[in-house]
Amino acid sequence: MRKYIAKRLAQVVVILFFILTVLFVLFRLAPGDPVSRMVDPEMTPEDAQHLIEQLGLDEPIWKQYLIYLKNFASGEFGYSIHYGEPVARVIWDKLPNTILLFTTAVLLSAMVGISWGKIAAWKKGKGADIGMTIAALVTHTLFLPWLALLLVWVFAYQLDWFPITGMVSEEVFLDPDAGFWAKAVDVGYHMVLPLATLFLIHFGSYLLVMRSSMLETLKEDYIVLARAKGLSDRAIRNKHAAPNAWLPVVTSVGLSLAFSINGGALTETVFSWPGIGRELVFAVSQNDYPLAQASFLLIATVVLFSNVVVDVLYAFLDPRIRY
Amino acid sequence: MALLKVENLSIGYRTAGGMLKAVDGVNLSLEEGRSLGLVGESGCGKTTIGMALMGLLPPNGSITGGRIVLDGVEISALDEEELRKVRWSQVAMIFQAAMNALNPVIRVSAQMTEAIRTHRPDMDEQAIMQRVEGLFNLVGLPLERLHDFPHQYSGGMKQRAIIAMALALNPKLIIADEPTTALDVIVQDQILKETKVLQEQFDIGIIFISHDISIVAEVCHDIGVMYAGQLVEAGPAQEVFFNSKHPYTRALVGSFPTLAGPKSKLTPIPGEPPNLIGAIPGCRFCDRCPKDTASCKLEPPKWQEINERHWVLCDHC
Repeated sequence: MRKYIAKRLAQVVVILFFILTVLFVLFRLAPGDPVSRMVDPEMTPEDAQHLIEQLGLDEPIWKQYLIYLKNFASGEFGYSIHYGEPVARVIWDKLPNTILLFTTAVLLSAMVGISWGKIAAWKKGKGADIGMTIAALVTHTLFLPWLALLLVWVFAYQLDWFPITGMVSEEVFLDPDAGFWAKAVDVGYHMVLPLATLFLIHFGSYLLVMRSSMLETLKEDYIVLARAKGLSDRAIRNKHAAPNAWLPVVTSVGLSLAFSINGGALTETVFSWPGIGRELVFAVSQNDYPLAQASFLLIATVVLFSNVVVDVLYAFLDPRIRY
Repeated sequence: MALLKVENLSIGYRTAGGMLKAVDGVNLSLEEGRSLGLVGESGCGKTTIGMALMGLLPPNGSITGGRIVLDGVEISALDEEELRKVRWSQVAMIFQAAMNALNPVIRVSAQMTEAIRTHRPDMDEQAIMQRVEGLFNLVGLPLERLHDFPHQYSGGMKQRAIIAMALALNPKLIIADEPTTALDVIVQDQILKETKVLQEQFDIGIIFISHDISIVAEVCHDIGVMYAGQLVEAGPAQEVFFNSKHPYTRALVGSFPTLAGPKSKLTPIPGEPPNLIGAIPGCRFCDRCPKDTASCKLEPPKWQEINERHWVLCDHC
């Protein structure tokens, strides 16, 4: 097991190296250059040239590549061109917001999707199954920005139950008397609509995967044996069928947890949620190379690691799998 | 009083093409401590009868006529909750273990204790564990393998674990559905012999379902031969095997090779069993029967007594 994990981590390092190279090439191929954003009309050509030299952009491309690799290997991500702050700092500021929203959304939709999928399979063909399956199919195929805007329009604009955008209210966070709980409640209140959007879009896929996996499991001989043993329906469903059915669901939950770091650019943009996803879109449109590169690298790293975690988790869920 | 009485039992499956009569008017009777082998090819209704005895027919299947009486209780009239109590404590089932009869993610020990705990809520954990260990000894499984997962067992060990599980609550009746079909011949032979010893030791009634009439003849006291949902020949095992009357039984006996004895050509049974959807007026075997006469197709055959307790459903035997 330990040997297997070590092997997988070594693979991750190799793949990351490839991703770094691809990122480097892609950014050099992208149109536009960062300096043109920083140059203002009053600068002389000499000033602009000086800036280019300062940033190392006049070096030959292979040398830039080596510097780039060296910096990443030593954990040096550079300064954001737009913010003028260290990239690590910018990411570090936004990351918790994204993790909060997306981890909650993934876990909530996974829990609901799995338990409803289990019941839908158990009651296959009955009203509850048909209702849940249709609900899952409909919400799963909705276009996310449309749903987000619809929720904002109905619940924030028309009914005025929830704030339209943002993550905090200034009056709460600037109030020196506001304690932790007051702030937590305020964030939770802002989170309702983005969370509802993500939940509605995602729970359906978990529900459908769990339902079909559960239907396969219910055909197995050990389910007949469990029934023959006179076990209650509840024990058959929860102890015998579900633990065999949720392996495929774990894969999709594990992979979507990767998004809890990447964030969703669309959701974060619609709700002005100050997270990584929105920052990434911004960095790309501003030709902020260091910030964009570091964000992409973060996404790649998280996806690679969650794959390893899912594989290791398999061994715990299914005793037949040993590495 | 007989342990099990099946009277005029009919079972149907609702299918897209109409009602399929999987079992049609079957009568069986089993005394305590005796064993009855049900033999026939796939689709003849033998497994359906086994499932009906446990109240485990699939959702589209139902008992359309007759009744099943186990130890004075009419199983076929019980509701789901009452059936749940009868299952495993009164009737246990031995499945074909090389298939997935044991749950792959639950330890064997937990799968055994669970059966006891469900039906004996008053027993404490220590007593349950002792019982399980006793059962393991009984079927010859090493105690240190008790907490393994099923995939760590060989086919024969899995089969023994399932037999141990079936004995857990001292049931009066065990239904063994093709219990050794997927095992190699040596293990199959051992397990059959051990099962027979256990059956006699605990005085359990066994319904042994198999497609192999030679195995059933060796293991069981009585044999019932099924064809297309009906019993066609029944009687003491040796009598039915060596003095078969029904052309189908004869064909079954002739379609398995013997190791001992003269070398002879195996005779396959030509043709297919009839479609069980819709009414069949005459004898169901007549299309494949060498003795087929004009009247066979029109008139249902009647039971004839050949010897004492040896009956056959054929007008020309």
